[in-house]
Amino acid sequence: MAPVTLRKLVKRYGALEVVHGIDLEVKDREFIALVGPSGCGKSTTLRMIAGLEDISGGEIEIGDRVVNDLPPRARNISMVFQSYALYPHMTVAENMGFSLKIAGQSADEIRKRVVEAAAILDLGPLLERRPSQLSGGQRQRVAMGRAIVRNPDVFLFDEPLSNLDAKLRTQVRTEIKRLHAKVKSTMIYVTHDQVEAMTLSDRIVIMRDGYIEQIGTPEEVFQRPASKFVAGFIGSPPMNLEDAVVDNGRLMFAGGQSLPVPPRFLEKVTTGQKVTFGIRPDDVYPTGHGLHSGDASAVHAMALPVVITEPLGNETLVFITFTGRDWVSRMLNPRPLKTGETVEMSFDLSQAHLFDAATGVSLR
Amino acid sequence: MKNFKLSAPTLLLLPAIVVLAAVIVLPLLFSFYSSFTPFRLTKPDTLWLFVGFRNYITALTSVDFWIAFGRTVLLLTIALNAEMLLGLGLAMLVNKATMGQRVLRTLMLFPMMFSPVLVGFQFKFMFNDNVGFVNNALQSLGITDRAIPWLIDGNLALFSIIVAEIWSSTSVFAILILAGLLAMPKDPVEAAHVDGCTPWQTFRYVTWPYLMPFAYIAMTIRSLDVARAYDIVKIMTDGGPAKRTELLWTLIGRTAYSDARMGLANAMAYIAILLSILFTVYFFRKLAAARQQIGAEW
Repeated sequence: MAPVTLRKLVKRYGALEVVHGIDLEVKDREFIALVGPSGCGKSTTLRMIAGLEDISGGEIEIGDRVVNDLPPRARNISMVFQSYALYPHMTVAENMGFSLKIAGQSADEIRKRVVEAAAILDLGPLLERRPSQLSGGQRQRVAMGRAIVRNPDVFLFDEPLSNLDAKLRTQVRTEIKRLHAKVKSTMIYVTHDQVEAMTLSDRIVIMRDGYIEQIGTPEEVFQRPASKFVAGFIGSPPMNLEDAVVDNGRLMFAGGQSLPVPPRFLEKVTTGQKVTFGIRPDDVYPTGHGLHSGDASAVHAMALPVVITEPLGNETLVFITFTGRDWVSRMLNPRPLKTGETVEMSFDLSQAHLFDAATGVSLR
Repeated sequence: MKNFKLSAPTLLLLPAIVVLAAVIVLPLLFSFYSSFTPFRLTKPDTLWLFVGFRNYITALTSVDFWIAFGRTVLLLTIALNAEMLLGLGLAMLVNKATMGQRVLRTLMLFPMMFSPVLVGFQFKFMFNDNVGFVNNALQSLGITDRAIPWLIDGNLALFSIIVAEIWSSTSVFAILILAGLLAMPKDPVEAAHVDGCTPWQTFRYVTWPYLMPFAYIAMTIRSLDVARAYDIVKIMTDGGPAKRTELLWTLIGRTAYSDARMGLANAMAYIAILLSILFTVYFFRKLAAARQQIGAEW
């Protein structure tokens, strides 16, 4: 239980700088997700917090100690690895109790705490097995058990769900959330999966190429993405993004088609300005098959041809041609649509975004 | 014979079987048979005289044989343990090298590239009490002013042989343990660091269990090697002085060719092979257990 502070944190491998002086304050007992595409520096950042990578510049503070020069064992952290990293020659109980044994705890104390942790994670019947006799999900639970037993200041998770199949991933995800509610420790969670980040965390840190793009609650990063990158990264299917030029209150797209400038951006753009227009699939829908956010005057309707549909049961993803390429829309209460059929589409512009075309920064 | 027809697989394997039989099975059977005769190379007729277990009884009741047997086991124990420790150290150091690891790996194998006979000659020269490098170095450094009789003193001679053995074969351990280190997943080691292990504890509880199977493979190979040690000893001391470095196979060689008692030598050889089989079985058991422990998938 401790806050974690990163100050101007830099990581260099030789001449190559992979983390460029990032700042981050993780509050006590907060669940923070570091999310971003491969190679964005999220795992490196986590490994620096763990002490598994040297820090090239800046400072890391855990609790009120600067830990830059402390080895991992002195930082009172626990880490759950992507590959589980269990000790194959030890039983589940030995794996979980290993850190306590190293710390010189009595056998009774170790047993007590292992059993406690096993109860939280439902591992009781597996305590005498070896990792090779466990399924992937069970191994991951053991890895979490090993982390809990130590009662650390900070939990670090390095893509813990990537090696699990989709069903198990959802299940273990729920377990991690429940775990956080129970143990109330600071948790830092690295993932490339925005769904995990959204569902688990109090705040999300979106990283790209060694920089932090945005820090915010799941709602904030979803509804108010700070940049084109965040807009495209968060949300599934991703936001429709298209370059446009502002012309007298309209957005002119390359193919000659146009849309009105979303109302809340009217004051912020001028004619001739190059922007990127963004709108989520939820906010484009066949008229009558979606929900607008309240301001009916901001809904703009247009007849567009259907390219293909992906029925998901309760909803259908409809791909339509607009501005010369495919846009994704989400159709609620779906009815069958044929390829080539022209459908009236509603664009809820109150939910649309505009970004500077060159820098990608939101014009909000 | 009309209905007798060999199946295609048997027919195709037949040439190989015939060759193997000719070069391995027949000599083996012949030597086994001759161990029950008083066969002497100088008296070919003795081959046809069957004496039952007399050669085996002679060997098993011979003090010289048991001393050579014991000395071989002693050499094996000391050499294997020393090679294992040195090889482990060497492998860990090479594994730490960030630059030129390939070159180091190749250099590490150099001693294995020399014929044991040449290694024997080289160490015989180095340990020579008059012109040898070792005495020269010790004297120049002022550590001693005497000429130490490395190959003449009984205890020192065995020690010198062990040094030569270790020099020439530590790389077997080093390369196999290095293979283990390279194949080992990094995550458990990192997990151990996070779990609070000091570097020594990490080695003791995590790295070593991973390396054990590799160490046992090296042990098996080397135990067979050392148990049949002949060349280096033959060159360096020829079992001397006064049989103080006589090993199983130098004794067997001497019995067979110098004393020309081929029957007795063959009997001794079969007993010696038993020793090798024993060691192999022992280390393979250990290997299987170690593999099982780390849940190895190979």
